[in-house]
Amino acid sequence: MNSKHTNTHPESSRSTTFIMFLIFLLFLTAGMYAQQKKLVTGTIYDNTSIALPGVTILEVGTQKATTTDADGKFTFEATVGGTLQISFIGYTTQNVKVDANTKNIDVKLVESAFMLDAVELVSVGYGTMRKSDLTGAISTVKGDDLVKGVISSTEQALQGKVAGLTVLQSSGDPSSGSTLRLRGGTSLTASNSPLIVVDGIAGVDINVVQASDIKSVDVLKDASATAIYGSRGANGVIIITTKGGSKATTITYNGYTGVSEASNQLDMLSADQWRGYVRANNLTDAIDYGGNTDWQKELYRKAYTQSHTLSISTGGEQSGIRTSLSYLKNEGVVKTTQLERLSANVSGYQYALDKALKFDTGIFANIDKWHPLDYRIFERSFNLNPTIPVRNTNGSFTEVGGTLNENPVEILTDRDTQNERHRILGYFKTEAKLYKDLQAVVNLSLEHNATQGNTYKPSFAVLEGRTENGYAQKTYGEYTNAQVEAYLNYNKTFGRHNLSLLAGYSYLENIYKGFGAQRSGFETDLFGYNNLGAGYNYRLGDVYSYKGKSNLVSFFGRANYSFDSKYMLTGTLRRDGSSRFGANNKWGLFPSASAAWKITGEEFMKPTENWLTNLKLRVGYGVTGNQDGIGEYKSLSILGVGQDSYYDPSTGTWSLAYSPTQNPNPDLKWESTRQTNIGLDFSLFNRVTGSIEWYDKQTKDLLYTYQVPQPPYLVGTMLANVGDLSNKGLEVTLNADIIRGDKFTWDVNVTFAKNKQKITKLSNQSYKTETIQSGSLHGLSGMSNTFSQIIGEGYAVGTFWGREYQGLNEKGEFILSEDEKEIGNAQPDFTAGLGMNFAYKNFDLGFTGYGIFGQDVLNATAMMLNDPNRMPSYNIQDDFVGSPIKSAPTYSSYWIEDASFFRLQTATIGYTIPFKESKAKLRVFVLGQNLFVITGYNGVDPEINNTANASDTPGFSDRLSPGIDRFNNYPRPRTISLGLNFTLGN
Amino acid sequence: MKVKIIAAILFSTLFTFSCTDLSEDLYDKVADDNFGNTPNEIDALVGGAYSSLRGFSDAISNAYPTCEYVFFLNEVASDEATIPTRGTDWYDGGRYQDVQRHQWKADNGMILSAWRYCYAGISKVNSIIYQVDKSGLTPEAKAPIYAELKAIRAYYYYQLLDMFGNVPIVTNFEDQSLPSNSTRRQVYDFVESELLAALPHLKSNIVYSKMTQNVAYSLLARLYINSEAFIGTPRWQDCIDMCQNVQGHTLTADYFANFATQNQTSNEIIFSIPYDSKAGTLGNYMSSMSAHYLHRFTISPTGDYPWSGNGMSAQPGVYSSFAENDKRRKGMLIGDQINLGTGSVIIMDSGEPLTYTEDIVNFTDAKQNEGVRLAKYEMKAGESWERDHDFVLIRYSEILMMQAECYVRLGSPTLATPFLQQITARAGTEMPATIDLDFINKESLREFTFEGTRRTTNIRFGTFFQPWWEKGSTPAYRGIYPIPATVLATNSNLHQNPQY
Repeated sequence: MNSKHTNTHPESSRSTTFIMFLIFLLFLTAGMYAQQKKLVTGTIYDNTSIALPGVTILEVGTQKATTTDADGKFTFEATVGGTLQISFIGYTTQNVKVDANTKNIDVKLVESAFMLDAVELVSVGYGTMRKSDLTGAISTVKGDDLVKGVISSTEQALQGKVAGLTVLQSSGDPSSGSTLRLRGGTSLTASNSPLIVVDGIAGVDINVVQASDIKSVDVLKDASATAIYGSRGANGVIIITTKGGSKATTITYNGYTGVSEASNQLDMLSADQWRGYVRANNLTDAIDYGGNTDWQKELYRKAYTQSHTLSISTGGEQSGIRTSLSYLKNEGVVKTTQLERLSANVSGYQYALDKALKFDTGIFANIDKWHPLDYRIFERSFNLNPTIPVRNTNGSFTEVGGTLNENPVEILTDRDTQNERHRILGYFKTEAKLYKDLQAVVNLSLEHNATQGNTYKPSFAVLEGRTENGYAQKTYGEYTNAQVEAYLNYNKTFGRHNLSLLAGYSYLENIYKGFGAQRSGFETDLFGYNNLGAGYNYRLGDVYSYKGKSNLVSFFGRANYSFDSKYMLTGTLRRDGSSRFGANNKWGLFPSASAAWKITGEEFMKPTENWLTNLKLRVGYGVTGNQDGIGEYKSLSILGVGQDSYYDPSTGTWSLAYSPTQNPNPDLKWESTRQTNIGLDFSLFNRVTGSIEWYDKQTKDLLYTYQVPQPPYLVGTMLANVGDLSNKGLEVTLNADIIRGDKFTWDVNVTFAKNKQKITKLSNQSYKTETIQSGSLHGLSGMSNTFSQIIGEGYAVGTFWGREYQGLNEKGEFILSEDEKEIGNAQPDFTAGLGMNFAYKNFDLGFTGYGIFGQDVLNATAMMLNDPNRMPSYNIQDDFVGSPIKSAPTYSSYWIEDASFFRLQTATIGYTIPFKESKAKLRVFVLGQNLFVITGYNGVDPEINNTANASDTPGFSDRLSPGIDRFNNYPRPRTISLGLNFTLGN
Repeated sequence: MKVKIIAAILFSTLFTFSCTDLSEDLYDKVADDNFGNTPNEIDALVGGAYSSLRGFSDAISNAYPTCEYVFFLNEVASDEATIPTRGTDWYDGGRYQDVQRHQWKADNGMILSAWRYCYAGISKVNSIIYQVDKSGLTPEAKAPIYAELKAIRAYYYYQLLDMFGNVPIVTNFEDQSLPSNSTRRQVYDFVESELLAALPHLKSNIVYSKMTQNVAYSLLARLYINSEAFIGTPRWQDCIDMCQNVQGHTLTADYFANFATQNQTSNEIIFSIPYDSKAGTLGNYMSSMSAHYLHRFTISPTGDYPWSGNGMSAQPGVYSSFAENDKRRKGMLIGDQINLGTGSVIIMDSGEPLTYTEDIVNFTDAKQNEGVRLAKYEMKAGESWERDHDFVLIRYSEILMMQAECYVRLGSPTLATPFLQQITARAGTEMPATIDLDFINKESLREFTFEGTRRTTNIRFGTFFQPWWEKGSTPAYRGIYPIPATVLATNSNLHQNPQY
């Protein structure tokens, strides 16, 4: 898709080379020697056989030089016996001897990893820039470097790859999504997820694109880079560029099949241990049902996954096209869970009118099908007596009655749930060269995302099904984002000055709508969820529909200026207007400025140029916003209908009341983040490259549903912009080619990030908030009014607040401090990623891992399971036998654990079978995922993300309550896959 | 070149016509200034004032009748109910224990919930009045609507007067300034004057569950009977006068008809909060909230009955204060609970039989089966999660009881007899030889067990401040609750009730 950009920049470098060439010619005429000359012609290619224009051909020891033309061809009058030096920025320089027989010189240049900065193009939003010219903090991950293996959500492909970007998968459930977080969260209400831009389309669902279709990912971290996205840029921007048509034809097949098992489970008493415990403790009330069941094992299975991706790309000078089709069937290690995805992508480009016009178009579509899981099974699997058999002798499920003691296998089996999501993204981009250096771009796009849910709980299902006498539900929700973006690009080089300007307009319209219906009371279970009308019992809220709309209008501009490729300046400005904002704050302005200095370009750096090949300092400052926390219509005074019904005694019927639903807030606006970033890029000995970033992000006007005095307000809470929050941090990225031999190579990449968050303000003139209780433990027995965390001035989100454990008294009861205090923090001290690749001849070996360190987790699972009153009603953990604890579950620092961990995410070994005479390439590989986790944490998994099982808890927001392990027990799978990559090129 | 010009023109047209409209289009909601123009729309607005009585659900308040915690707060602080902690269950940060011991603090979630319940209702009524103001109705048409709305608002203020005393009086929806406290006397006067002003415009006939003259008279009677407790001025005769204005209601022959699944047919109910499973109202779980988790097997042989929570129980002594022949005693559950499927006693998870006992040895660590349970509201098989029982707020029986009490207090116990006879006759109990305040107090407990009024009765009789069961003497200032901590923190114009 980026062919346009790859074209423009070599053009500009060609013109500078041309000036240099003229200077060379001057020298040339001055000192000409009379030697034997010979006319040599040739073509210079890159390693993929694409002709390279602008390559310099210099005769060593002379000033004679030329450059290749647009087709990579050159003609040169060389001295017989001399040497031609062929050099091009970003490629390893090659020397070719000219002897009497030399006529034609065709050379393939090899890309030099350490000169790439100068040619590598980085997406910066509405355009690209050479990496060497960047002034902002941007990390790039190449498609080939994305995490491999079973990837059920595209976010996972970035795990551990970018310093400062945290990817947390909700659980081991393949249908559960992942959370992205860059440089700490900036919001208490809004999504803290970075803005996703796919092929220039901002705000799309990242999962519309499959990892296999990604060419590169550019992560814009600091405000000077993201301010071009204004009110949506505060959490960073991830720009995904997909693979497009190529000038050569390539057919690729990638496939694998994998087998997964649960990586961990809790050690509960086995039936024999249980019997032993009952005897030893003389528990006369305990009932032995005669079975021998490991209830957790009954939920798990050996899960199989297969994935196939086929892609073809082809094209030429005028046009190119790429298509890909992929299929994934990813079984979860918990029975019935699985994700099935079929996805397709077609994209292409076409030039017209002598390359004055270029069209880019692409369409991505996929269908996901999955079975949602009832997370209540996990708690039951810990509760149930291990002597209960799963099934009775007649084959029916065993039910012993009791509370929280329903047979979890029955819950898994006797439900029929099937969800389906369709995603589609299409765009059509037109680029027109209006005048020499002026280009106009119009990009039209449409994104559509629709989700369907189907549930049936038959009349024999224990939870809900029986009391409802069958329960069926269907839901449908969809949204459409239609976007028009138009902008002008101007790029001019004069002498050593380079100026590029951008000005544009963007209009985005979001429409969401949906409906749902449910019924209960079915005479037969035969219909499942397919005949809702057959249910005789219905309630007022059983049918609903909704629709809403919002729009975002933006004007934006950017100016880049660089002098001598040494001094770079960038300024951006964006003005955003959103229908969601309150009447008094409809428009926001988001400016940024940044500068960079290539220190190694200076004369005084000559003495160190042998080892310090690149040193660049960047400084930037900008203001960005986050408007995600404002839902539609939140600023208005509106009447809702549907929730409130009232009785009309005159007819004995019920009618619907229309009631005001919220406190109107005409001042409602985006959260704004001011960010300062200082970065240093370096490369040493042509082997080690890296960058160090320091940032300071100050967010103000934090959106939160604050407590407001009632009266005078209609309701006791109100969405408003009040608080301040700060994030400061440091990021280090290092890449090293440790060994670079002909047969053996070894490279290492390391990322490191540290972020410190602090809420600095929660009150202002109108709103007074001392602390907000969070981390609700509601839903755990007896914990309805217990909050484990606070959000308060001077603390980070996720601060555990409670009484400190001081020991056990002689009765085995907890001795806890009188006062409540800070007893932990769920935010990590630092995160790190590590990747290594080895290649020996045709073998390759690689592994990637990531770690999160210093975060605390409340092990609420252990807190609830370590209850001396559990036996014989509920089973206990092995560890609890002989435990001195005799207190009922009580929240305190005792249950807070350091959950630092390092996970070996993937390990791969591959062998490429060489086909000498053809361009075909076949690689077979074995890949292991999640082979081990090093941690001191006692729960099932130290990586906690609660979205899956806590969403139904009132007052519980995952964003504000991180690090609570409350039956976080969908184990992450350990997977071994066997796969092959086959490429056929021409 | 032509093409470029065309492209340039197209591009600049795009800029020229670029949309900058940011107005919000509503599809499934209505802007408040677009509604309230027809009588039907007015009905739909006024209906909201009634539905607010059911309470609301948020992080601290559940949508049980009157937000659950209003009920809990007044019951657990009284001498009839307790929410024992059983293992970890119903500990919930100690909020019930604190109330049981009369040691509540301003940050108790139930207290905030009670405050919000009342002010959410008041704000809603104010907003509806504002809508009616803007509507094109004639002043004559508006008058009865205002009367109905203001009387509902007065009901909320009566609750605030009873629970918190010195609360701010807010009547104007548009006024967003931070209010300050009124005195308890001012709140009292406000409630009285609003009800009296509304009376002439209210309907004089019985209209089930609506704010009629009978409801207003009953509320005034409640105000006057508690007048001494609220403001130090007894008004017993005024209470009797108001009671005598209540017309058309009678006692139902069967006491439990008032608490049946379809109790809207009861002629005894003066004011109630209607619930209906078909109307999707999250409802009256009073009985199942109290019953043991496995109690469902006493209702259905397969245990198909939605949820019971093993919560509130009667304080020891309440059950035994009923005579054996007292029909009302069936409103409580005691003894072995039989599994309809097996015919034998239900076995709890602990392996012990489910036998409700009157005694609760340690209410902070009670056994699952301890405590007599509330079963006043009918529980029957086939009920769905949303229940049908209307939550009773005022019964005619209370009108009788108030008159009896006032006559005793005025020194004419013989005049009380006819009122009490109606009550005891229905209950199947004997009239005492002498009618005194002690009898009235005990008979009130038996007649109105678990109806949410006991705390007020205890305060009026002064027993509230004397030691009972799990509490010692209660200082006088705890006759009202503190202003919730969150409310004080967000409104600097408010000051806390004395001594809190």
